[in-house]
Amino acid sequence: MGQGQSQFTEEELQDYEDLTYFTKKEVLYAHQKFKALAPEKVGHNKNAKLPMAKVLQYPELRVNPFRDRICKVFSSSNDGDCTFEDFLDMMSVLSENAPKAVKAEHAFRIFDFDGDDMIGVSDLREVIERLCGPELKLSDSEIQQLVQNVLEEADLDDDGALSFAEFEHIIDKSSDFCHSFRIRL
Amino acid sequence: MEEEVESIEMNTSSARRAYTLRNNVARQVAVNFMPSRQIAHNTLRLRRVNSEHNALLDALVDAPDAADAQADIIVREMEQHQSLMEDNPVSEELRREALRDLPQCLTMKRNVRAKLSASVSLRSKRRPISFLKRLKYRISFAWKRTRDKFRDFIFSIELWYEAIRNIEGHLGSAVGSYFHLLRWLFGLNLLLTTFLLCFVVVPQALHDQAGNGTTELGALDFISGRGGLEHTLLFYGHYHDAEIASPGPLRYYMPFAYFYTMFCLYLMFFAVLCYRTAYSYRRNFIEPSGGTGALSQLLAAKLFCGWDFGIASPAGAALAAHALYLEFKELLNEQNRKKMITSAWVRVWQRLANVLVTVLALAIIAGILYGLWLLLAVEELTENREIYISLAITAVVSLCPVLLHFIVKLEYYEARTAFYVTLARTWLLDIGILVILLIYWSRSDDECWETRVGQEGYRLVILDVLVSLLLIPTVELVRGMLFKWKVLEAAPEFDITYNSLTLIYNQSVLWLGMLFSPLLVVAVTAKFLLLFYVKRESALRMCHTGKKVWRAAQTQTVLYMLVTLSLFTMLFAIGSVFLRSSSVSCGPFRQYEHVFAIVSEGLLQLSRHHTLRAVLHFIVRPGPIAFVLLGLCVCVYIMRARAAAQRSMAAILRQMLRLQAKDKDFLLNAIEKVSNGEWLYSPKAEEYGEDSHTWKYLNEVRKPSNAGFHFDGSRLSHSFLERPKSYVKENRPTSYHTERPKSLEDGDTDSSFSWQGSSSYLNQKGEAEEKR
Repeated sequence: MGQGQSQFTEEELQDYEDLTYFTKKEVLYAHQKFKALAPEKVGHNKNAKLPMAKVLQYPELRVNPFRDRICKVFSSSNDGDCTFEDFLDMMSVLSENAPKAVKAEHAFRIFDFDGDDMIGVSDLREVIERLCGPELKLSDSEIQQLVQNVLEEADLDDDGALSFAEFEHIIDKSSDFCHSFRIRL
Repeated sequence: MEEEVESIEMNTSSARRAYTLRNNVARQVAVNFMPSRQIAHNTLRLRRVNSEHNALLDALVDAPDAADAQADIIVREMEQHQSLMEDNPVSEELRREALRDLPQCLTMKRNVRAKLSASVSLRSKRRPISFLKRLKYRISFAWKRTRDKFRDFIFSIELWYEAIRNIEGHLGSAVGSYFHLLRWLFGLNLLLTTFLLCFVVVPQALHDQAGNGTTELGALDFISGRGGLEHTLLFYGHYHDAEIASPGPLRYYMPFAYFYTMFCLYLMFFAVLCYRTAYSYRRNFIEPSGGTGALSQLLAAKLFCGWDFGIASPAGAALAAHALYLEFKELLNEQNRKKMITSAWVRVWQRLANVLVTVLALAIIAGILYGLWLLLAVEELTENREIYISLAITAVVSLCPVLLHFIVKLEYYEARTAFYVTLARTWLLDIGILVILLIYWSRSDDECWETRVGQEGYRLVILDVLVSLLLIPTVELVRGMLFKWKVLEAAPEFDITYNSLTLIYNQSVLWLGMLFSPLLVVAVTAKFLLLFYVKRESALRMCHTGKKVWRAAQTQTVLYMLVTLSLFTMLFAIGSVFLRSSSVSCGPFRQYEHVFAIVSEGLLQLSRHHTLRAVLHFIVRPGPIAFVLLGLCVCVYIMRARAAAQRSMAAILRQMLRLQAKDKDFLLNAIEKVSNGEWLYSPKAEEYGEDSHTWKYLNEVRKPSNAGFHFDGSRLSHSFLERPKSYVKENRPTSYHTERPKSLEDGDTDSSFSWQGSSSYLNQKGEAEEKR
């Protein structure tokens, strides 16, 4: 893995190794995967910016219900288009070695659809709708009930929305988060 | 009034939402300037602060130097950490970690790093570094480099990486966890194989070569392990009991090699397993429960951790979505059923049923074990008797999990408890069988019972190959085919429980047989290797994602725990049987009276050192051992007490956190009112003389309260009479209130400065605006 001619200098690799949770070989492997999304474009410019639709070709992202949010959160231009560095960032956070706190931080941003730094009622509704997939629909009152339950469970200060601290509290209590919030390179 | 308020809320909902939003931003600003946010205590908080700044800075994202400004903010915050800003490798490493944990994009990180290192070199005073320090730094650098290289190396040799990833992509990470267990056990056994081959098998083979001997093999010998195979490298009895004949000048004393290799391997693997299990247990059981299990955030956790990000196939994704949908439905149903009030009798019946079925299951297990004991004692079936017995055992071991799985359905357990109960019962059966075998053979009057146990292990492993490599895959294939031809309704799932139990059973046989048949390790390793490929094919081709969302993390811990427990039991059994009564006519220890004599005579040579002998004799007497045990008990008790104390402390702290969050909210609201000029409290006019008791009481005894303020109606721009009566507590019959009839509300207690009052005031304001 990661053998063959490299588009990166040793310094660049060291740089990436310092700033992400990957080793050099893993960085190269990630680049292979990135290149597979758009071979000629990336072959030309190793840090080419790929449009969101192209990035979403990545198998795990393609079927993920939060795919567009993931791309937007990690995109440096905030529009979902990703350069290789953004992609590397994404994979690094989703990798096994990233600590829970970093994962939680990004997960919070992914679930915060309206970007008000709180996961409010509308965000929770959106999460539930996306989780159930495009075909199956819960009725409006059912979703309402679920949202109510979540807030009752987790909204400690009764402000009708989950702040980051409350979100992190949920994550801390769940043993499965690190298992599920993970894409293996 | 209530209805009125509601109608107002309905009418002005949009206006109110806008208000709340503005409110939120303002509040966020205020929160960010709170002292706790300003002083970054640790990297965790540092990270969060940055992201909040980030949120605030989003407004000026269009500005060209926004990124630069943001980087400046982050750098400034990091500069507050003394430990991060020193010019030495340790703090450089810390800086590197802090940077890596920053939830920012790479460009930003790079920017911050550049600024940071500039700032560091600016701050650092060039001081000569002492030789020792330099050495320390050099070592830490080298260590870090080696570690990175090692990780790189691990990644490049990681076995079955793509395969497991593929499986996780199709079937979810729960099935993946089975394959992780399989791979882990395979790695473990590979390591065992290497050590055993190097230190035990190869030297013996060299010895055999010197004095060669040939034997002929029958076909059944390969299964039974007897006949021609009995006196080969396979079994304990064959191993030499003195120095091996080697051509060179090196001396190799076989009993030592055999004993210490086995001893070290058993201990080493026991330590590794204990560590692994404890780590997993801490991560998946203790940390999530956080001291008290009072807060169950079931639904919230399902919402945010429900999606398995590893899923990569559209079919798998559709199934996963369906599973989540069903689970939500189920949760809602459960809630709507309003918790049927189970009568005491029903509960008694359920308990009784649980107890009865447990007794029944235990009776079945005991019955099987007793049957096995009787079967072993039957001497009539002379021809190939062992093979029949091993076949029977294999059949029992592969069928009983199914039986126990059905039995547990008679009981009233939750799904997860039922799973654990089945697991525990099956494990008990497996271990029981192995222990019975060991005991039977050690009591038999065979001249070399160790070889017999080794053969037993060998047969069990060989016959289990038939089951787990041929029979089960065939069953899975047939099931898959039936589903494909629409004969079966339900899609076949990958049975994690059954498959994991097979692995654990095999590993237990290995723990038992390794000592008596060193090459068994090779067989099990090879089998696991094959098993991986067979299972991968059958999982990918025949199985589908489960209907239920399976929680992998805790299950995995339980599986590790069972592997460790089986090793512990086996160590205990071997220790109490083998060390006491090893046979005198075969094996590497035949020169010694007991096996442990190899330590006492071979290594320590106690017969020559009388003092040491006396000391050891004293230590192993019941008195000192009881004393040590007592000491351990006291230690455990103290630890328990400390754990309980910490748990209650955690509960208190959690309660405090909640209260503080409420305080914060309350204060922020109050501040907001002040800033809007709506403060309803003004300092009281002094009406008492210096010698008034009330004055003294208010000023000295109740100094910290807000007694000096009173409710000032004149500050209110709206008609006061519209307020609901309940909030205007005009005539409160407290002793000194009556002295001041002027003040409507004296603000003496905190309750009068209530959240409800102000919110009602807010409503009023909204109404007023509406009217305008």
